[in-house]
Amino acid sequence: MRKFAIIGFGCAGYNGAKSLREHAPNVVIDVFDPSRRSPFNPMLSTYHAAGKLPYDAVFPFGSLEEICRALDLNYFSENVLEVTADRTIRTESDLYRNYDGILLATGADAMVPGSLRCSGNRWFTMRTLDDALALRQHLDTNQVRSAAVVGGSMVGIKVAELLHSEGVNVTIVDAASHLFPLAAYESTARFIQRQLENKGLGFRFDAKVTAIDEDGIAFADGSALQADLVCLCIGTRAGTRSFRNSSVQIGHAVVVNSHMETSVPGIYAAGDCCEGINLQTGKTAVIGLWANAAMQGACAGANMAGDHADCPGNILHNITRFFDMDFISLGDITLPGCKHLFDCPEFFVSLVMDGNTLQSVNVVGNYRVSGILKHHLVKQLTGGASTTFTPAQRGLLERNGLPREFIQLIGGSPNDRA
Amino acid sequence: MKYVFVLDESKCVACSACAVACMDQNDIDPLAGDIPFRAAFVDEQGPVEDPKFTFLSIACMHCENAPCMIACPTGCLKKDPETGFTVFDNTNCIGCHSCAMACPFAQPCFNDNSGKMTKCDGCVERVKRGMQPACVKVCPFGALSLVSESEYQELMRTDARKKISYKILD
Repeated sequence: MRKFAIIGFGCAGYNGAKSLREHAPNVVIDVFDPSRRSPFNPMLSTYHAAGKLPYDAVFPFGSLEEICRALDLNYFSENVLEVTADRTIRTESDLYRNYDGILLATGADAMVPGSLRCSGNRWFTMRTLDDALALRQHLDTNQVRSAAVVGGSMVGIKVAELLHSEGVNVTIVDAASHLFPLAAYESTARFIQRQLENKGLGFRFDAKVTAIDEDGIAFADGSALQADLVCLCIGTRAGTRSFRNSSVQIGHAVVVNSHMETSVPGIYAAGDCCEGINLQTGKTAVIGLWANAAMQGACAGANMAGDHADCPGNILHNITRFFDMDFISLGDITLPGCKHLFDCPEFFVSLVMDGNTLQSVNVVGNYRVSGILKHHLVKQLTGGASTTFTPAQRGLLERNGLPREFIQLIGGSPNDRA
Repeated sequence: MKYVFVLDESKCVACSACAVACMDQNDIDPLAGDIPFRAAFVDEQGPVEDPKFTFLSIACMHCENAPCMIACPTGCLKKDPETGFTVFDNTNCIGCHSCAMACPFAQPCFNDNSGKMTKCDGCVERVKRGMQPACVKVCPFGALSLVSESEYQELMRTDARKKISYKILD
């Protein structure tokens, strides 16, 4: 009987196991994950810490017992220390096992540079369920008047929202020159910043943090910011430590092809520990999103079973709601082109076009156009079908506030009437 | 039995009766800020002297591999095994809008009052009890219909044959 190992059990690991079981009902599937917890979505950490989501609800696929029973999985709650090119794994209890196929799905950890580590109990990260529980406990048992959130991206803004809602005086600090440096045009970021300043948040940009201590944070220019609490939200680092000796190609994460296979035959990777294909650049990149991890895991599971599934790639995209505001970013904002703006009192759409090709989009205040624009952008890149909007899409964009001229600019056909 | 919503554009006049019936069925009050699940509209293209009109009625397509379902971080969206509709239980919805970004038809909508996303559920409870979805039942021209998967396949085959015939006759 064929045997498979899945290392790491988050969204990608779960979907890999599910797909593998669907495609190969009679194989042995061993899952290695030290958490003893059901797959957890890191995005939910701030919601749980804010009390908006109860403990059981942060496990969207059900309990670990239910999952293992339904998918007939053998669960080993231990770390895998090493994966070798002949598909042998070594665990921390010195268990050696050889497999017909391995799925690397270890996810990513919150990035904490060594220089910023400190021994105090007033600094936090926000990635895992334990991070959420620790912050919640601290807020419940201490009087926190001021906080510094280091990192002005998706996680940082949600942590800032949570702290602000509890009456904490929050300052967002970032080494970049503006909020959402990877997702927002500067003009969009400044608009959002103004809205948040009106709500009482403070900002400090171009500010390199050199140390975190009991008093707050210290900056490279010698200045300091006093804070009762510091939360470090400066991104993630792929969990690739145990694969370093396996011969799999590793860049920022494990490099995979469109079948989710690594450079070593029979070893696959999916989710935040891997670099799939960025459709806009054609290069591999980490696109750490829940749905992306699900699709990658499902593709890897099918291929491990012997099917020929394809995961052609994705684009950078994000939607986030904070302080009653929606911000949507689609595509790589660094790509060149001509910038266009549609601005009305309720929302604005800002985008970059290179000739007739949509490169990137920022939307504030209108989530309803996001799905159509995202699919249009992906459709442009995957080719095949027409790259103009269908009558249904045109009508829906128009009904959701975009003027005809703007719709035609993005995806009109020569016959469209502006 | 899995079902498919079919819109016959040649019969639709975008009268919005379907949209009103949907609002009635689902207690949707646009004046109170609710967003209707179904929308009917006319798309007018081409030169003014020779315009091309497309009449449409759009709601959730209940996609087979529903991208909204994959995107939902809390598992609120599911496929109803009996009807194949994409249904939801938004108890744990965090209002993150991930489903909206995943939908190519701009269907999931945010309810400001509840702070949660909602969408068309295909009138799943009506259909399970042998009734038509509200939008289908009210359509005065028979443009909207709910058919089984096998009926849908047959419709597609017939449609394809018609198109080939027209092409030959042209």
